[in-house]
Amino acid sequence: MSAPLVRAEKLSRSFRLRQGLFAGKAEMMAVCDVDLAIDRGEAIGVVGESGCGKTTLGRMLLRLLAPTSGRVMFDGQNLDDLGRLDLRRLRRRMQMIFQDPFASLDPRRPVGRQIADGILIHNLADRSDIVDRVAELLKLVGLDPSHASRLPHEFSGGQRQRIAIARALATRPDFVVADEPVSSLDVSVQAQVLNLLADLRAEFGLALLFISHDLHVVRHICERVVVMYLGCIVEEGKAADVFRGPAHPYTRALIAATPSIRPQARRNKIVLSGELPSAIKRPSGCVFRTRCAYATTTCSETVPTLSRFGEGRTVACLRAAEIAANK
Amino acid sequence: MSRRATWHLLVPGIIVGAITAVALVVPLLPLPDPIRMDIPARLLPPSVGHLLGQDEYGRDVLSRILWGARTSLVVAFVAAAAAAIVGTCLGLFGGYFRGLVELLTVRTAEAILCFPPLLLALLVVTLLGPGAGTLITVLAFLYAPGFARISFAETLMVRALDYVTAQEALGARPERIVIRTILPNVAPALLVQFSLTVASAIVLESGLSFLGLGVVPPAPSWGLMIRGARSTMEQAPWLLLWPCLALTGTVIALNMLCDRLRDVLDPRAQGRQSSWLARGAARILPSVAGSTQKPSLLRVEGLTIEITTPSGARFRPVRDIALTVAPGETLAMVGESGSGKTLTALALLGLLPPAARIIGGTALFTGRDGRVRDLNLLAEPELRQLRGDEIAMVFQDPGNSLNPVHRIYHQLAETIRAHRPANRSAVAVQAIGLLREVGLPDAERRAYAFPHELSGGQLQRVMIAMAIANGPRLLIADEPTTALDVTIQAQILDLLAALKVRSQGMGLIFVTHNLAVVAEIAQRVCVMYAGQIVEEGPVSEVFARPRHPYTAALIASVPEGGSGRLVAIPGTVPLPGALARGCCFAPRCPRSGPECTADLPVLERISSGRATRCIKWRELA
Repeated sequence: MSAPLVRAEKLSRSFRLRQGLFAGKAEMMAVCDVDLAIDRGEAIGVVGESGCGKTTLGRMLLRLLAPTSGRVMFDGQNLDDLGRLDLRRLRRRMQMIFQDPFASLDPRRPVGRQIADGILIHNLADRSDIVDRVAELLKLVGLDPSHASRLPHEFSGGQRQRIAIARALATRPDFVVADEPVSSLDVSVQAQVLNLLADLRAEFGLALLFISHDLHVVRHICERVVVMYLGCIVEEGKAADVFRGPAHPYTRALIAATPSIRPQARRNKIVLSGELPSAIKRPSGCVFRTRCAYATTTCSETVPTLSRFGEGRTVACLRAAEIAANK
Repeated sequence: MSRRATWHLLVPGIIVGAITAVALVVPLLPLPDPIRMDIPARLLPPSVGHLLGQDEYGRDVLSRILWGARTSLVVAFVAAAAAAIVGTCLGLFGGYFRGLVELLTVRTAEAILCFPPLLLALLVVTLLGPGAGTLITVLAFLYAPGFARISFAETLMVRALDYVTAQEALGARPERIVIRTILPNVAPALLVQFSLTVASAIVLESGLSFLGLGVVPPAPSWGLMIRGARSTMEQAPWLLLWPCLALTGTVIALNMLCDRLRDVLDPRAQGRQSSWLARGAARILPSVAGSTQKPSLLRVEGLTIEITTPSGARFRPVRDIALTVAPGETLAMVGESGSGKTLTALALLGLLPPAARIIGGTALFTGRDGRVRDLNLLAEPELRQLRGDEIAMVFQDPGNSLNPVHRIYHQLAETIRAHRPANRSAVAVQAIGLLREVGLPDAERRAYAFPHELSGGQLQRVMIAMAIANGPRLLIADEPTTALDVTIQAQILDLLAALKVRSQGMGLIFVTHNLAVVAEIAQRVCVMYAGQIVEEGPVSEVFARPRHPYTAALIASVPEGGSGRLVAIPGTVPLPGALARGCCFAPRCPRSGPECTADLPVLERISSGRATRCIKWRELA
């Protein structure tokens, strides 16, 4: 197997927060020791609730945010070692799609120009060809090329997200981070955008990091899924396997809590008690133990590491085997 | 920009434009020389040759005022422009790069603000000597920090937005991001600051000239004229009047212009009408349905809402809604954004935004006392009595619905006391009891927390506690779990279900866009599209055998079937102002034919408790 396109090694990021007027600053761990490898053309989903560090992880992989420790390798290059200029050049190959298409487009510039930005910055086409390139990209995402001169507010949410996708694809990237790209869209439009993303990924052989809180959406678009809780990866594996037999208690609860249009088809319902603990005062041992039905005293003492659990699957739970056996 | 806003800008714009134009063409006007003295004619009152009279040296006052305007405006505009350019650059780069750059630019500029402006001006003028050039330098120096601060603050705000990050992700150079992306987005605030600065520079220029530190006599300037007129105030008071009028008039016109400019550039500033008046107007409307039928708990018929846009256009985002809620029943209203579901819920409580009003229909509500009242016909005081008592509402974003400066307990106690006068200890017991009932952990202590100290899920529990405080007959929940995480959403859905079982026959209207949540919580569902109910019936039946193509497509597009291609609905939700003829869904419908666009289909009863607004529903069976 060839080397992965993107590889995160022991990636961590903490933020310093001021707690109050007189209190000192506190350290908040947003992402904690994450290892992740993404192959060329692979779609990997990152699932977790708000505050689990999935957005921070995505931004670190693109070096829009510097990690506190650990490193990101992109196609064999350590992003830490690159100078500003080299990093800017490398940005052609990695792009981002944001959650809110109303915030990610500049409200005061025509969409065609915004799509053209990446091409101009990286000198990917002659000035005379740019109009054609933009028209081609608009067609690619299912919009009319004549719309290039319009301003973002003239489009609906779904159309804006298509424009944002066109902008990300303009530089022909190898790797795209999509941060909740459909969560702010209407249900009937969500499916259009998901299908478009799936098609484009297949067409261009993109590696995709798809961040979402919606398990069903991830299952649709990704081969592999990573489940995060409080900055840590708790489970990783093939999407279908993780859905069929979640091994970590948190993944189980997450799947059980996701409402379904076929409630009868759902297995036993687990309602997690309590709330996500503060990332400033992280629980000792396993981060999930405060809400876990299976937690024992060992869980508060030993930090579980991601260990192999079946074919192509890793789980960070001390009792994973035991729980699986009792099911 | 709406037409009305443009109109507002017109009046001060014309005045300022006229003043500027006059100042520009002064050399071409047939005016006497402003510095030619005529000592014998000193202090003469207005005459035909000298419309505003003559000053202490016999010079023509009108001519001096107009030439003075030229000096004042040139000094003010040039100084303001210089300040704007320098200050904006400092603020933009300081705000974008932060760190050391911020220290060198914005913080240095702020140091200037520590000096009293007049003293600083005096110092510089003393050093450089008076004159228009010095004056411009001083004023630019004084006003630049203002621009730096404003552009700094705006840059910090814009910089955090996704479209700036998107530019970074594209690999754009920082200068490009600052000039192409950030500058246009901070420009409106700077424009307003610019017109304010011009007005204030005119005043300061006059002040300095008055003190003899600005424009050098005999050149005309308003400040110098006021200074000259002061000594002859008793013999010729009008000499003081003219330059003062000119000064005040110009400054007022400029201030008006920047007020209006701010309104026009702020998209939120639109015509607002008091909701109180709007409700009063709706009262006159006749009710459509006869109230002979005995309503269950709530029976809405023909509810139609009209919105008037600031430009005067009217459209109906909610049309002909009919729904019933039986005691103890949960009715889900499901639809996409713009389907009118939230407006319908707000209309029931009389909480429509000012631009919207009910123009038809009835909403018969059976109260605790058994009386049946039409919510659409109730006056505001009566509605207020029902609201929070017999009908309660839970909103989508609990963080925005609670007052951030009051403790949870006080807000809850307020709700209880608003409808039931009770003594403090009884209210306290009840409030804590409610918080325990909604499952707020550690209720006794958390009751005295401020909203920001609680998480989103806990806040939603507090909101629910406030809603059920007075044992409502009907609870309307508008997307109560949309802002929450799935594991917390499951907790809140369980809580709502448990509360309904415990209450005696409380009806629940649950507004949501999430079909899966509907399946979890509701017995009956109304599917809304473009302001109409397109299908209605028991949840299990509607989901298993949808009888409207929209419902069918919506269910098919939910990504639940594992991997594989999703069934997507082509096109987008129509705007309420631009609806097609006939069936609203026809343009996106796979089954639509010419008969679909002929007439608006009616909501047809197809079996007991089920209805659809599709003429081809049999084909779907």
